Amino acid sequence: MTDRKTSTLPPLGRRAFLQGAAATGLAAATMPLGSRIWAQTGQELRVSSYADIDALDPGFYQNGYNVDVMNCIYSKLVRYVPGREWDWELEAAEEIEQVDDTHIRFKLKEGLMFTGGYGEMTAEDVKFSFERVLEHDSPVKSDWGPLDHVEVTGKYEGVIVLNEPFQPLWTITLPYGTGHIVSKKAVMEATENGGDFGMEPPAFSGPYILEEWKPNQYVHLVRNPDWKGEEPGFDEIRIIPMDDTKTAERAYEAGDLDYTEITLSSLSQYRDNPPADTVIEEYPSLYYVWLGMNLDNPALQDENLRKAIQYAINDEQILDAAYFGEAKPSTGLIAPGLPGHREEPIVPVNGDLEKAREYLEKAGGAPSEPLTIDALNATVWKTMAEVIQAQLAQVGIQTQINVQDSGSFWTLGMESEGDRWKDMQLVLNRFSMLPDPYYATSWFVSDQVGIWNWERFSNEEFDKLHQEALAETDGEKRAEMYRRMQDIMEETGAYKFITHEGTPVMYREGLEPALRPDGRPLYIDFKGTV
Amino acid sequence: MLYYAGQRLVLSVVIVMVAVSILTLMMHVVPGDPAVMILGPRATPELIEQTRVAMGLDKPLPIQLLTFFGNILRGDLGQDVFTGRPVSRIVFEQLPYTLILISVSILWSAALGILLGAYSALRRNTWLDTLTGILSVGTISIPAFVMALYAVLIFAVWLGWLPAIGAGRGFWDGISHLILPAFAIGVAWVGYVARIVRASMLEVMGEPHVRMARAFGLPERRITRSHILKIAVQPAVTLLGTGVAHLFSAAVFVEVIFARPGIGALIVSAVNERNYPIVLGAVLVTTGIIVLATLISDLVVAWLDPRQREGM
Repeated sequence: MTDRKTSTLPPLGRRAFLQGAAATGLAAATMPLGSRIWAQTGQELRVSSYADIDALDPGFYQNGYNVDVMNCIYSKLVRYVPGREWDWELEAAEEIEQVDDTHIRFKLKEGLMFTGGYGEMTAEDVKFSFERVLEHDSPVKSDWGPLDHVEVTGKYEGVIVLNEPFQPLWTITLPYGTGHIVSKKAVMEATENGGDFGMEPPAFSGPYILEEWKPNQYVHLVRNPDWKGEEPGFDEIRIIPMDDTKTAERAYEAGDLDYTEITLSSLSQYRDNPPADTVIEEYPSLYYVWLGMNLDNPALQDENLRKAIQYAINDEQILDAAYFGEAKPSTGLIAPGLPGHREEPIVPVNGDLEKAREYLEKAGGAPSEPLTIDALNATVWKTMAEVIQAQLAQVGIQTQINVQDSGSFWTLGMESEGDRWKDMQLVLNRFSMLPDPYYATSWFVSDQVGIWNWERFSNEEFDKLHQEALAETDGEKRAEMYRRMQDIMEETGAYKFITHEGTPVMYREGLEPALRPDGRPLYIDFKGTV
Repeated sequence: MLYYAGQRLVLSVVIVMVAVSILTLMMHVVPGDPAVMILGPRATPELIEQTRVAMGLDKPLPIQLLTFFGNILRGDLGQDVFTGRPVSRIVFEQLPYTLILISVSILWSAALGILLGAYSALRRNTWLDTLTGILSVGTISIPAFVMALYAVLIFAVWLGWLPAIGAGRGFWDGISHLILPAFAIGVAWVGYVARIVRASMLEVMGEPHVRMARAFGLPERRITRSHILKIAVQPAVTLLGTGVAHLFSAAVFVEVIFARPGIGALIVSAVNERNYPIVLGAVLVTTGIIVLATLISDLVVAWLDPRQREGM
């Protein structure tokens, strides 16, 4: 089974963060440079990535694959700590402190240099990097929530000023994409107005620099000669995009890769018979998979019918068929280890056929026409849809499966794409996630109806809680708010949560990979030998 | 000959335009919004609309098509919607990998296919002819992607002789990375070419000019080379010309399986991402190449057989 040893991280409050950050910063500062991790020389790390990069401007990043590279070539105030529990540590910041709910004071380390002769990183660069995300109306400006401005108080010091409290700042803003710091001078020279510089970074500030990007072939990173911090673990990193993880598995077995994610369907085989000199590890994932129901579709108006569907679905049967039993059922949107995770859902993970029949009877029987299940055209989704089809047939609900390619599927519930949303009934969905519960619930608020809220679920209490939880500084209270929000979703009958999947990886013995608790690689911290 | 070539060239341009127009129509019929794909899930509806307008997607389809052809005349294939890089640059970065792959596949499969076909025809009804026939039909019936998968598993994973992915760095590394994909694509064509050359040779061997050559006492080797094979390979040349389209299709699967750069892999990802400029640019170039290959094969056949020219 997928390793479910997950973080027991309490909702990370400001104090907890500061204690951790201060301790980590102290340890790093007192450690002589020469005694830090000994880097291997002359070594190249070869890894696979599910997608090629398509944006290298952190202010305008689009997906995690771009951030994997950004982590190596730019610095940010704080970063994720590799391991099994969500935690953060100082990176470019020597100190960082939340002065009050809306003010975060920081002090940069001295001597962090930008490449290309763009000089030392200063608080002006921090101000420029963060504020440009809002000024240029970046598609990811929501990462910065209520940022008002950054006040520069000294060459290395400044204060991030928010309009209102914003808890995700610590979990998904500062340590992730838009938290990276770029050189103001370099960006202003490279662009007309400080906007998106696309795929051509004008300067680097991380331990690696981008040596070459060959689209669809590889991203080649090499050591940054101007880097004054801790030596990175490898001389070079070659990231090879492969959108088929099975191809990556074969490439690893052939010796062409040192580290790769593997599919859940291959996990059991690799666990029983691993390739030579290989370590297999399993991490939980933050993704969430669910069956959604369109509340505005005439066929699904009856809450009893929706509840009959919820209770007819048995998650474990689905997971046995689609993931070979290597993923666990989920209890909601929020994965274990994150604030707001529910230990138990309202509808049991394995359903209850008797209850399903009772609800169906209350609904006056099954719909006369088969309901549709929309799903992506990959094997795992087709399998899940087929199992759900069989489970619903057990209580007398007939369904028809529509599989679609990704381009078509991902606009299915969008009002801007015509009237397809009106015909949509049941939809098998999967969203990616960042380590803050806000990121999950933000797609289900009323404003998102017809955009990403395909169930067209709209609830005043949910919307209010979502807004309040953003600013709630009491960790336990905040977690409770998110648990309540998932209850509200489930009570409508429009959601049956299925799984968070899992992230199994394999790598050569001797390599010390650095992974986030959800299995995402932090190449900057990969060490060891290959 | 010049008139014929000019006529074919005009026809080729028309074919390319029709193909691109049909594709444009298909792309717009299929659901999916490039602006949403570019901007990601967190973009505001206003920003998505602005991007649509900036990309010209708000304009009627015929206007979009006319704009596209107008831009082509200026040598502009547009920009990649994600990275903002010129489409022509992206396509021509990837194209050499596919062209090399296809060329090497054609060369080795044609050379071996002609040799086996000729040998089978000359040794008709021997056990070697039978064996060649069985192998030819066997290889034809195995799809390129199946061959590719087994080639990786046997030669890269199990034996470890050759690399499993990528295009390699430098000349020799590039060659070693080319062997398995070229084998996977070309192996079926060995069978095709061998069967066609064998049948064609058997037909030509019975023709009067061959009997005449024998009556004049020309050496059998010279008769075979100059009077039989030269004519017998013509159907194979035509097949290879038209077969370039099939080779491009096979390259799509093979490039994905070998995580190899190339136009096939580029088109697949661009279609999934609704990256219209890349799809159009890449299809324009590949259609052009396919039409050009057909044209060249016709011209080669005309050059090999003067009777073809006379009929023009």
